[in-house]
Amino acid sequence: MTESAPAVAAPVPQAVAAPKLKVRDLHFYYHGFHALKGIAMDIPEKQVTAIIGPSGCGKSTLLRVFNRIYAIYPKLEAKGSIELDGENILDPHYSLNRLRSKVGMVFQKPVPFPMTIFENVAYGIRHHERLSRADMEIRVEQALRSAALWDEVKDKLKQSALGLSGGQQQRLCIARGIALKPEVLLLDEPTSALDPIATGRIEQLVEELKSEYTIVIVTHNMQQAARVSDQTAFMYMGELIEFDSTEKIFTKPSRKQTEDYITGRFG
Amino acid sequence: MSSPPAAVADSLAEQRSRRDARDDRLFGWLLKGCALLVLAALLGAAGATLWGGRHAFGTFGWHFLTSSAWDPGNDVYGALVPVYGTVVTSVIALLIAVPVSFGIALYLSEVAPAWLRTPVASAIELLAGIPSIIYGMWGLFIFAPFFAEHIKPFFTSYLGDKPDDGKLSWVAAHVPFVGKLFGTDYPFGAGVLTAGIVLAVMVIPFISSVMREVFQTVPTRLKESAYALGSSTWEVAWDIVLPYTRSAVIGGIFLGLGRALGETMAVTFVLGNALELSPSLLDPGASIASTIANQFSEAAGLQKSSLMALAFLLFVVTFIVLLVARLMLRRLAHKEGR
Repeated sequence: MTESAPAVAAPVPQAVAAPKLKVRDLHFYYHGFHALKGIAMDIPEKQVTAIIGPSGCGKSTLLRVFNRIYAIYPKLEAKGSIELDGENILDPHYSLNRLRSKVGMVFQKPVPFPMTIFENVAYGIRHHERLSRADMEIRVEQALRSAALWDEVKDKLKQSALGLSGGQQQRLCIARGIALKPEVLLLDEPTSALDPIATGRIEQLVEELKSEYTIVIVTHNMQQAARVSDQTAFMYMGELIEFDSTEKIFTKPSRKQTEDYITGRFG
Repeated sequence: MSSPPAAVADSLAEQRSRRDARDDRLFGWLLKGCALLVLAALLGAAGATLWGGRHAFGTFGWHFLTSSAWDPGNDVYGALVPVYGTVVTSVIALLIAVPVSFGIALYLSEVAPAWLRTPVASAIELLAGIPSIIYGMWGLFIFAPFFAEHIKPFFTSYLGDKPDDGKLSWVAAHVPFVGKLFGTDYPFGAGVLTAGIVLAVMVIPFISSVMREVFQTVPTRLKESAYALGSSTWEVAWDIVLPYTRSAVIGGIFLGLGRALGETMAVTFVLGNALELSPSLLDPGASIASTIANQFSEAAGLQKSSLMALAFLLFVVTFIVLLVARLMLRRLAHKEGR
């Protein structure tokens, strides 16, 4: 790099970070039900953005618009725009292949494919790239190392992924996602099916991954949002009520509804 | 109401638990009896056919398996033609039915709009309920003539080694076996390939409804995970849905195969019933079931015993098929690292 390198340590306030995803006037309809109502937010690059809110507030729906996974079902419709690096991903001309290689997703419950551990990670890569066997092995190892799983599975790569523990399976799913070298990683309540120790490992992993990826995490666990995120969005009834630095949201929220929610008065 | 004294309550409870234990034992025996009944029926049928066929096995020995002669005039019998016909028609049926069923099931479980799924699924179930005699009639009166008129000439002249105009096609001349498979002088529609196609139509409902049902058991989140990696519908079906449901799918296929192997009426109608060994798929043939159906009423002595022996061989063939299915499943599971 020719220009002076930016400060490496200490996450800068989100005002300084460049927005990776720009959401503007986003509406979403489930069979006519208005699930997201005019969402607008800037998700900064290489930081962790948490989305919190009570069940049914639309937080998972919002996440599922970011990689257009909703498009595999009929009668779901998103209106508005989401710009990823300046390009509107909701534009039908934006290729799904390209979008999904740039935006990875990890789901609530760990869902390893019915294949070996190695194949689980290699599977997604194979869809997008043709690699020699040796290169593939390197890529799989990198992904498993980044997901802090390598040491636990390196001797059983040829075994079925279904034999791993829940926490290991979820890290495998993260490895599978980052194997594609995405720019954005969507985590949909990634620890809701895990025990506290496995949860801690995932949270630690999120902390490590944010130096390379823009992470958006949906969680119903407010402590988790407070622990892992740089900024937090609070949603309620399909609307974005407040979006600010995590510290501000959890110490002095500016909206009454946010305060009620984080102090446990509802939800 | 006051409760009974403790001692009385205790003895009542003890009585009840003793009675429960006895009832459970009785129930257990009853269930075991039901299960054993199946085993007894199977062994009984296999044993009866083996016993009935002892005369044939005793007279011809291993030649019964390897001989293609079936000559009631000289009282000489061999099982090769019917066994070959049974296996080949069933294999043809599966070659057609499995891909088609996979397509139907995939369409219904993954692609079709919701309003279309139920009607098509019910139609498939209705198709499965049609008696085989009706398939046989359809095959003989409608499909076989159509086949002889429109499809067979294509095979004989482009693939067969006995084309009508005498000019050998490139394929027949250069690719081994193909010419023999499709060469024939037999002018009618009934034959091995026709029987295979009719059988395919008959087993498609079975295989596709099993497949559809198990495809629906694949967790949504598993499919979504694959879509999230960029997979296409085809890739999700082939790489995720099929491996996930593999054992049930293979089970469904072998259910269909079991039906194809033993199918009698329809095959008797469209197979042509010629007890002669021919490599051509367009020539008439015979299956175990069709041979029995055609001959049992006037058979006696060694012929009857030979028919019994044929029935026993059908058991053996079916058993081998099931064994192969098991082995296949085990090897697949092994390959997958389980």
